[in-house]
Amino acid sequence: MLDFKITEDTSGQGATGGLYDVIIVGGGPAGLTTAIYASRDGMKTLVLERETTGGLAATTELIENYPGFPDGINGMDLMERFRVQAERFGTEVVEFEEVSSVKPVSPGLIEVQTDGGTAYQGKTVVIATGSRPKKLGIPGEDEYYGKGVSYCATCDGPFFKGKTVIIIGAGNSGLQEGLPVLEYAKQVTFIEFLPYSRAEQILQDRVRSHEKSAMLFNYRVTEIRGDSTVTGVVAVDRATNEEHLFPADGVFIYVGYTPYTRFVSDLVELNRWGYIESDAHMRTKVPGLYAIGDVRADNPAQLSVSVGDGTKAALDIREYIQNLK
Amino acid sequence: MGLLDQETTTRVKNMLADLPAAVKLVVFTDDRHCEYCTEIVQLVTEVAATTDLVSVEIFEIHRDADKARDLHIERAPALAIVGERDYGLRFYGIPSGYEFSTLLHGIHSAGHGHAHLDTQTKAYLDGLKVPVDYQVFVTPTCPYCPRAAVLAIEMAVHSDLVNANIVESAEFPDLANRFSVMGVPLTVINGKERVEGAAPAHMVVDAMRRAMA
Ligand SMILES: Cc1cc2nc3c(=O)[nH]c(=O)nc-3n(C[C@H](O)[C@H](O)[C@H](O)COP(=O)(O)OP(=O)(O)OC[C@H]3O[C@@H](n4cnc5c(N)ncnc54)[C@H](O)[C@@H]3O)c2cc1C
Repeated sequence: MLDFKITEDTSGQGATGGLYDVIIVGGGPAGLTTAIYASRDGMKTLVLERETTGGLAATTELIENYPGFPDGINGMDLMERFRVQAERFGTEVVEFEEVSSVKPVSPGLIEVQTDGGTAYQGKTVVIATGSRPKKLGIPGEDEYYGKGVSYCATCDGPFFKGKTVIIIGAGNSGLQEGLPVLEYAKQVTFIEFLPYSRAEQILQDRVRSHEKSAMLFNYRVTEIRGDSTVTGVVAVDRATNEEHLFPADGVFIYVGYTPYTRFVSDLVELNRWGYIESDAHMRTKVPGLYAIGDVRADNPAQLSVSVGDGTKAALDIREYIQNLK
Repeated sequence: MGLLDQETTTRVKNMLADLPAAVKLVVFTDDRHCEYCTEIVQLVTEVAATTDLVSVEIFEIHRDADKARDLHIERAPALAIVGERDYGLRFYGIPSGYEFSTLLHGIHSAGHGHAHLDTQTKAYLDGLKVPVDYQVFVTPTCPYCPRAAVLAIEMAVHSDLVNANIVESAEFPDLANRFSVMGVPLTVINGKERVEGAAPAHMVVDAMRRAMA
């Protein structure tokens, strides 16, 4: 089935500029939800996104636990709807615009700088930058990136039709993204560091019952080997300390996520993993600066939670702006 | 039934409303073997129907071999996006999924004829002495790919010595194999220097430097 997505505003108009009520950094589900609420509420709203909107949610094949879609929905399609809904109420979206710093100037004025050198001014700023896939930091990982090593099965899975694939990490993301790969790969082996999987039972059941799957628990992956492309993965059985070489043409890595918070690390409070502390209203310790979604401390990284966070921030922002006057 | 729904058509129309110059979409089909040729022709026709400024020409790669040679097109399905000048914008395969945005960006850039690039990148491109072959491998389901493809388009529009060849990898397994594409986006400069992922302009410039060294 063919579909056609417009993810980018090619009109070249970009942002209208001036003082925004809300500037949202990051166009994933959290940021777009704040945008829907704020712009529908008549606030002048801008979303700055370093890539195309949709965030991590757009990289997943099928989302089955987001209410309202009993048959599940493709992540990219769902995020397309979020965006259209935000734009319908007047949200301005600028893509390929990475925010490099945030500076509180005076009460009711925060300046946001992009790495392209543009500055935007907002009464409030919402950090919704989410997280990116963590690397293992092992030999071969960088060397074979794009030559068999990938962090996005939806993007690169099709290159491994009829091939042998290893998925490192048997948590929710690894299993969920591994399922579609099982459909076309010759064999998919999941390698997990822990002695068990922390994934939802339904995902574990589906993977286990698939004839082409295998699961290895309690293995530490130590190296990715290859010649011009990936040929295998070296892993140590943590129970016996024995080293094994598992042949593979492709390796997908799903070992967790690290937050995008470097650009505000001197401004807000971060927990020891780098996630931003914000209160029940999503406020950080800087007045007018909010943090929502996966980038927040103690957030379970679920779409519906991001949406809830986005809503709370928008509601609090309305009040904050009214009180500025 | 149209390929584009009403809402998408309206958005396309709005985006292309302010084109300052005409843009031609030149499609090359392949009568011998082509999975999506019918759809590509239909797609560009629907896009062109949204504005007077975009027109469509259709050729068959074997029958119209001269025309293909003129536009430096060696395989089909292919799409040349030609503005007031030919900036060398080529899309191989069907621009569906996320790549539909790349197509629209290409039309927009070809119509406007100017690029959004930082000054250092422009300065480097202005100093080029020899042609640069700029390939970007993509898939329609890759949300990171338009960023890499759009960068190629911008550079090609800015410099007459740079062309932008965007390849839908699944439709050209021979090319994907030749360049051992196992992940997208993949940028290949002059057939040898590779940049994996949606890299910023300066990394592509570095690859150009290496390719030219
Ligand atoms: C493979 C996978 C499968 C998943 N499946 C499910 C599921 O089935 N159900 C579910 O509920 N959840 C699922 N999730 C989790 C869900 O996708 C996330 O919780 C959700 O996307 C978080 O939204 P967010 O808006 O906080 O962050 P993100 O989605 O990460 O979006 C953040 C955005 O900010 C942008 N950004 C980052 N830094 C900057 C910057 N400096 N300037 C500008 N922009 C920036 C990023 O490019 C990104 O687009 C899945 C996640 C993954 C990875």
